[in-house]
Amino acid sequence: MKLGYTIIYVADVPRSIAFYEAAFGLQRKFIHESNLYGELDTGETTLAFAGIEAAEMNGLSVLPNTPKGPAAAWEVCLVTDDVRTAFDRAVAKGCTPVNAPSDKPWGQTVSYVRDLDGCLVEIATPVGGSS
Amino acid sequence: MQIPIGYQEVIETPKASRTTEALWSFRAGQAGTSVVLPDGRCDLILRASAAKPDEYIPIVTGPATFPYSVHFEKGDVWYGLRMRPERGVAVWGSQLLQARDHVARGSDAEALIPVLGETSCDGGPMDQLKRTLPKNSAADSSKLTHAIDVIHSTGGRVRVENLSCIVGCSPRHLNRLFCGNVGVRVKSYIQLAQFHRTLRLICSGGITLSQAAYEGGYADHAHMTRAFQAFGGFSPSAIPENLHLPGVFHTHV
Repeated sequence: MKLGYTIIYVADVPRSIAFYEAAFGLQRKFIHESNLYGELDTGETTLAFAGIEAAEMNGLSVLPNTPKGPAAAWEVCLVTDDVRTAFDRAVAKGCTPVNAPSDKPWGQTVSYVRDLDGCLVEIATPVGGSS
Repeated sequence: MQIPIGYQEVIETPKASRTTEALWSFRAGQAGTSVVLPDGRCDLILRASAAKPDEYIPIVTGPATFPYSVHFEKGDVWYGLRMRPERGVAVWGSQLLQARDHVARGSDAEALIPVLGETSCDGGPMDQLKRTLPKNSAADSSKLTHAIDVIHSTGGRVRVENLSCIVGCSPRHLNRLFCGNVGVRVKSYIQLAQFHRTLRLICSGGITLSQAAYEGGYADHAHMTRAFQAFGGFSPSAIPENLHLPGVFHTHV
């Protein structure tokens, strides 16, 4: 077993893909012609988006993410050597700042933003080394 | 869920069928009885019997919260237009709250929707139904549509208080929107969505009844059984074969 995908259910897949490209400098791999699914080029473990209605279609019960309330109790963590620049770009492109970059006692730099749907995204340096 | 590149089949989501008026038709291949499950939507129907194939009887259903049985003979034909949930008020107007689980037939249906009574209509019953579509949808509320979407994406596993926070209005106002447009209370609509999702889990999810009760959000097996009796008229362990799940045989306008 290995982790293949993290899939976030969103209201508008193309909008979320475009947002992640602009806010985090990631590249899209593809958006399915149905606009119900799209992937970012994130290496061996894919970060993907699927339409909320695709969840319903599969008989799942999901509570849509919203920036209005507390975030769901999980996060996506993006790793970079230059956390400050990445954090500033994310906020400039529409993310909501939660915690500006700060240094942890173990030497890691960590920051938090929330994306357009209120999902928690951590931007941090790698633990114990460069990315 | 992933969808690979190049997968070509047209994907029709439940939301897509919920956000348009849907035309459907049905011709009975043999005599029988079907159970029609409630889904809180109204239908405009033209029904003809095999004995009098050119004589269409107009039928207008109110938003259903109880199951009902339909008996038919071989060759009976229906043409129907299933309205979006928000469109109950466009059909029933000020009588909407009295319309719940009510069916108007013949002259009563014509009084509501006069186009249904026109006997010689160019293009047949499908065109006649299309002409009944309300032209003005400006009164539709985006908060109501948002609430309906959240109810379905959660499979009815959302409380009214939480739902009203999500769409940004008070629980009282949300209930007024449902009663005034859909014709059922918001809580009833939530329970209908929960019932339909759990029914689907049992029919095609490959899990046990207890597991379906848990994933469906019922407190226990008895709670699920009460809901199934109320909305389906059957127990979860004895689901009838002749169910017509809403939206099974529609085509788009």
